[in-house]
Amino acid sequence: MLWVDKHRPKTLDKVIVHEQVAQNLKKFVAEQDCPHLLFYGPPGSGKKTLIMALIKQMFGAGAEKVKMENKTWKIDTGTRTFDLELAMLSSSHHVEMNPSDAGFQDRYVVQEVIKEMAKSRPIDAKGKRAFKVLVLNEVDKLSREAQHSLRRTMEKYSASCRLILCCNSSSKVTEAVRSRCLNVRVNAPSEDQIVQVLEFIGKKENLQLPFGFAARIAAQSNRNLRRAILFFETCKVQQYPFSPNQVPPPLDWEQYVSEIATDILSEQSPKRLYSVRQKFYELLVNCIPPESILKKLLTELMKKLDADLKHEVCRWAAHYEHKMRLGSKAIFHLEAFVAKFMSIYKEFLVATFG
Amino acid sequence: MEVDMDMPDPEELEWMESNGLLPEEEEYAYFDDPEEGFLPAAAVASKPQVAAASPLKPADEVSEANLKRPPPPPPPEQEEERSKRRNVEREDPVDEDWLRYSPPPAVEVVAEKTVSRFASEIQGDSMPVTAPNGERVYAKLATEKLVSEVIEGAGRRASNANHTGLLSESFQSLTMQAEQDALAKALLESTDTQYVEGCPVTPVVTEQLWVEKYAPHSFTELLSDEHTNREVLLWLKQWDSCVFGSHIRATSDDTLSALRQHSCAIQKNSSNRSFFSKIKGGYVTSRDSMPQNESGSNSEDLKNNFNKKPSVDNVPEQKVLLLCGPAGLGKTTLAHVAAKHCGYHVVEINASDDRSASSIEPKILDVVQMNSIMSDSKPKCLVIDEIDGALGDGKGAVEVILKMINAEKNKNSDRSTGTDETPVQKASTRKGHKIAKLLRPIICICNDLYAPALRKLRQVAKVHIFVQPTISRVVNRLKYICKKEGFKTSSIALSALADYTECDIRSCLNTLQFLNKKREALNISGFESQVIGRKDMSKSIFDVWKQVLQKKKPKRAEMADSHVSGDKDIGSLFSLISNRGDYDVTMDGIHENLLRLSYHDPMLQKTVKCLDVLGVSDSLTQYVYRTQHMSIQAYQPSIAITISRMVAQVEKPNIEWPKALQRCRAVLLEKKDTLKTWQNRMSPLISRHLSVESFVEDIASPFLHILSPLSLRPVALNLQSERAKNELVQLVDTMVAYSVTYRNTKFEPQERANGSIVPTDIPSLSLDPPISDIISFKGYQSEHIGLSLAVKQVLVHEVEKQKIMKDSAGKLLNQTSEAVTSEVSTVTCQEAAAVTALDSSKGSSKLKSATVPMQFNSASSLRGKDMSPAKKPSSRPTDFFHSFRKERPAGAKSHNDAAQQGATVQRDLRPLIFKYNEGYTNAVKRPVRVRDLLL
Repeated sequence: MLWVDKHRPKTLDKVIVHEQVAQNLKKFVAEQDCPHLLFYGPPGSGKKTLIMALIKQMFGAGAEKVKMENKTWKIDTGTRTFDLELAMLSSSHHVEMNPSDAGFQDRYVVQEVIKEMAKSRPIDAKGKRAFKVLVLNEVDKLSREAQHSLRRTMEKYSASCRLILCCNSSSKVTEAVRSRCLNVRVNAPSEDQIVQVLEFIGKKENLQLPFGFAARIAAQSNRNLRRAILFFETCKVQQYPFSPNQVPPPLDWEQYVSEIATDILSEQSPKRLYSVRQKFYELLVNCIPPESILKKLLTELMKKLDADLKHEVCRWAAHYEHKMRLGSKAIFHLEAFVAKFMSIYKEFLVATFG
Repeated sequence: MEVDMDMPDPEELEWMESNGLLPEEEEYAYFDDPEEGFLPAAAVASKPQVAAASPLKPADEVSEANLKRPPPPPPPEQEEERSKRRNVEREDPVDEDWLRYSPPPAVEVVAEKTVSRFASEIQGDSMPVTAPNGERVYAKLATEKLVSEVIEGAGRRASNANHTGLLSESFQSLTMQAEQDALAKALLESTDTQYVEGCPVTPVVTEQLWVEKYAPHSFTELLSDEHTNREVLLWLKQWDSCVFGSHIRATSDDTLSALRQHSCAIQKNSSNRSFFSKIKGGYVTSRDSMPQNESGSNSEDLKNNFNKKPSVDNVPEQKVLLLCGPAGLGKTTLAHVAAKHCGYHVVEINASDDRSASSIEPKILDVVQMNSIMSDSKPKCLVIDEIDGALGDGKGAVEVILKMINAEKNKNSDRSTGTDETPVQKASTRKGHKIAKLLRPIICICNDLYAPALRKLRQVAKVHIFVQPTISRVVNRLKYICKKEGFKTSSIALSALADYTECDIRSCLNTLQFLNKKREALNISGFESQVIGRKDMSKSIFDVWKQVLQKKKPKRAEMADSHVSGDKDIGSLFSLISNRGDYDVTMDGIHENLLRLSYHDPMLQKTVKCLDVLGVSDSLTQYVYRTQHMSIQAYQPSIAITISRMVAQVEKPNIEWPKALQRCRAVLLEKKDTLKTWQNRMSPLISRHLSVESFVEDIASPFLHILSPLSLRPVALNLQSERAKNELVQLVDTMVAYSVTYRNTKFEPQERANGSIVPTDIPSLSLDPPISDIISFKGYQSEHIGLSLAVKQVLVHEVEKQKIMKDSAGKLLNQTSEAVTSEVSTVTCQEAAAVTALDSSKGSSKLKSATVPMQFNSASSLRGKDMSPAKKPSSRPTDFFHSFRKERPAGAKSHNDAAQQGATVQRDLRPLIFKYNEGYTNAVKRPVRVRDLLL
């Protein structure tokens, strides 16, 4: 098992990074009830860990006996009926699923699963909660229709089920849903916190950390705890008695993006843009989200950019990212950004150096 | 020269060759249009009173099309004209061809006098004439004058033709005579059996559509591209040896002459394009004879070729011809004319027929395999028109054809040696066979080559794409027709018309006829306002891309008012794109090909603009999909036009299908799927924290590093140092937890590429969920080091072991939780939960303690119940286990409980020992788990 999983805090008490949040959540458990929750925060900040710890705290060990199933839903829309298959994790107390996997039919999934859970309402035995918990991942990827239908079902079945929603950005969750939940912001851990975690793991694994080693990993992790721990383990595997200036190997796709950035800065022409396009395709094919590509590309470009241009380039990056989210062909917008950058950069070069 | 290949008949060629330089006079006889040529002669041969019936074709040529427009004997003034023209022909029969194209002179003028379908229209005496196919016309009894004129004309010609030559009479006239005899016989028969009274009806308009009236009837009259014509004819000729077999020399004289003439035409095409200049130059003979010679020598080669290959069934390689091109260029006409030219009887199946696979199959079989039993039997040639038309129905035909072709291929591979029997015989012997064989040419005609229904056919068929004939050719033909019809036009107007309709001859003719009816003149300026409707054409997607990305060469006339022409361009582009309709693909294609254009853009402003509008188009599409406001799609063409205005170049773009984007989507889905299935295989406790994105972004690269530690040595687990052992255990544990393993692959291409010789027998191991693929970008050298093969093998072994232990542990866990009594349950349950949570190396020891009661239980009950040893040692301990569990009385548990606890401790102390008494292996009766053996 990777350290990421091995040293994941199982209960709210053991949580190191978001102690404050964990304490608040514990209060809900003590009060035997909780409202709908919406966890949001950047990836690798510990949302899922918190949610799992919370559920464990609520239902005890029974919540850890989960099984994976591919459930088929029979959807009857009135005009037509069809089957929808979706993988979900369930224990006797909760269900976890990723409704956005159903594509544009996600709204039926949301309705159906909640209704079904409401039907099989657990009996209020002593010491047991009278509700089930439904964990919905990646709510920000739900279609607007699904979110609207969620809004109604949330209220209607609140007696028998609690929703825990989890997403990266709350801005893509509709206002209505947000207002029905208690919003829990799980921010990215600060570098100090990451160092703290790494040292904790080092102690558990009986490792000697040279001074500043953890800090260096934390700095490279981009405030992503998952990444930090993985880097840490990579370092351990590659060379155990850590050398004082050891650095974890870079992420491959980030390396690739920085190569692209170098390409862009070295030549600005439609031909170069065409070769950049091929590289973008390579990244996209390998499931790298286009937003991440754009973000990483921007940071890489920023490193070598004149201060005057930074502001403008950032603005355009934001512009094209917005466009990208509106459309469906990410490659168009990535390319458009690169073209724009090339244009700006070239103009700047001509103006400066003639 | 290719064309010579068409000439099928070696003997004819030989004969021609022996004649050497053909005298001018005789040449005329050959060059002359076959129809025209024999008409006067026919008139002579037949008796005076039936002279008027001469238009009826000889029996073997009869078809409805021909009968509808019976050409009467030419009036004297025309005869004169022709003799004038004859001079012209000598100089350049080629370019003359299409101009001279002599359709039957105006029917409604002359037909009233001589031949008509209605007796009432004929003045004076008339007699009914019925053709063998039942078509009936009334022929006027000839007057003395007419007959004499005809005779005179024919006589003159005959003398010309007979001037020199080996035969006393020209070959042509001999055949004509024979035909005439046959005709006369047929007429005699029909006259005494049938008599129908003339039906007095209201005068019917006998005017035909010009399109039909002036349709080309011989190969030389075709307007379409010469090259295509020749190719089609060549293809058809390749069938000769198969279709006609031994009677190959039956190729009619006119075919040969036309071919010959044509071959000259092509040779001369390059040298003297305009014959007007030639006319002024006067009488040129030397030029003419040269090509003759050349064609002669070429034909010798050809003859040799023919001799080398005896008539085994050497059918052409591609058995189906696919003609495609926009409407109105003469595809159907070409197919008909060429087939007729090669001596086939054309059978047409078009969109109006029933075209389901079941109904079309017998039809095709009929044509392709059967021989008509009629004496005049011509082989049939199948023309399937508009094969792309209806998708569902058209497919039927395509499927049948494909089936036949494929069947044939299989058969050919079976028996490669040819047989002596002629193909015709073969067909009859094969009749019993289920799978049909293609023995006759099939010509398919379509508009859109890239129609989905044709995808498979495209691969096996010989494809010919029609190109527009040059405007001047079309205009000249139009001019000729207008003159014939007495419709006044200017050539400028006609060329404008041709341009406007994109050389669609059919639409040109229809327009002209319409205007003629309305007594309006053709007006250049008012095309838009005039009756000429623009065709609602949808072009192939490649055409659309081409139009967008390629600038039209500005013509001189348009240069003057450039903004006007610009408007027109935009308009046509707009309609083009919106007619195509498939905006998604259109935009993809533009995007794909955009950056490969060589437009001038130093500051990349154009590129930025183009990509920006493409982005707009993308969001527009997305919005439309989401909201279903389809009407907004109307703004898509303007986006493409913007791009076109920005980057279109004059030179021809090299357009490619947008494969990259589609491939990207497909591969992306595939990879996501792989990752998802992998995720499902993992323990849910781990997989719940993973998403595809987070895995790819954060985990993949470190994970691969972790999976290939540098310190690992290829030694078995028990031989390693303590630390290495720990590392290995942890690695195996990780691999099991993430359900990763190594798997055999045949060989890795990279290794081979490096030059190191890797024998393919040695298996190389690669990660089972191909995680390493995720980080392999093109042109990127990753820092990951693969483990050596030996280490991998060790790992595979360990992983398998670990898996078995885990499985058995899981199984036991389930059984325990069922079987243990309530007293133990709380404890065990917690333990079990802990086991799954903690890593299994630690867990297994705890697990043992948890499962021991069970084992002991069974063991003890075994001892109690089954005193005598079982006859056969069981290979599957679990079965044993089960059978006892079932039999065990429910109460037994509680009895044994106390004993169990003690026994557990006891049994844990001593290891598992197998004691073999000599020759008595049945001693091992305790159920033993693989897990225990592995530890």
